[in-house]
Amino acid sequence: MGGLAIGAGMAVMTGFAAGISIGSATGKATEAVARQPEAAGNIRSTLILGSALAEATAIYGFVVALLIIVMLKG
Amino acid sequence: MGYLANQMRTMGDFLQEELQVENVFEIPVKNPIPSITLDGGGGESGNIFFAESTVTAWIVMGCLIVLTIILTSGFRIRKLSGKQTAAEGWFTMFYGMVKNMLGHEAIGYAPYMCSVLFFVGLCNIFGIFGFKPPTKDLNVTAALALMTIVIVQIAAIRAHGVGGWLKSFKSNPMNVLELFTRPLSLCMRLFGNVLGAFVIMKLIEHIIPVGLPGMVSLYFDIFDGLLQAYVFTFLSSLFISEAVE
Repeated sequence: MGGLAIGAGMAVMTGFAAGISIGSATGKATEAVARQPEAAGNIRSTLILGSALAEATAIYGFVVALLIIVMLKG
Repeated sequence: MGYLANQMRTMGDFLQEELQVENVFEIPVKNPIPSITLDGGGGESGNIFFAESTVTAWIVMGCLIVLTIILTSGFRIRKLSGKQTAAEGWFTMFYGMVKNMLGHEAIGYAPYMCSVLFFVGLCNIFGIFGFKPPTKDLNVTAALALMTIVIVQIAAIRAHGVGGWLKSFKSNPMNVLELFTRPLSLCMRLFGNVLGAFVIMKLIEHIIPVGLPGMVSLYFDIFDGLLQAYVFTFLSSLFISEAVE
């Protein structure tokens, strides 16, 4: 049972990478807006798309942790 | 370790309960065919079951239809009422937003994408009215993702013809893989986000029942729900505009 908890926790660790990547993307987007304020609209939609794709990895981790807890709880 | 195992089991039971879809009502069938069962289990086989998410989705659709009828009734050309001005303003805003996502080549799909935006958006924030959000059910998000991928293929066929559509698979075999990964990722993203927000809200309500849930629900229920509806529409529009170009 303890191993199960550790496994679920490790699956949620995917959020680590997603957080770093979304932070990095937002930082770059801020720099881009500061450099070219007139392109803010395009940059925003690109940023949202990129963040959604990066965030999906964290969500997959969450779903896997959920499945570990629900399917294997025994 | 005993405490941890106990907590784990409680959590597992809670999550399993939230993952299961309850049947709200059923239509009894006189001579049930045993091989056809529409339910998710848990009832007499042969009857037609309606899951909670289906019924909530009907309520969402009903709200949208009633809102549309109220907002679009009594339009005039002169002496505009405040209601008409507001409706036209919102229409221009949302239609323009979807148009920007689709690009001018795929503009014919804007009404569909607008409907999806409104439906998914209202579904996601329906938790604040005391319902369970229908998009918390994997079946609903899977259906939405399937609709997206079917309309993407239809768009590709309409733009390039059947030959051109088949040729795109031949020239880039990765496109065959994308037929499966795209709907899977769309479906899982929406489901995971809504279920994650729902579970976190339940946990917060369990720990601190007063005050804090209201504030946190602003982010998890409203902001995150609307953002996910936007992302779903954005990605679907991106696939469509990619298919027609």
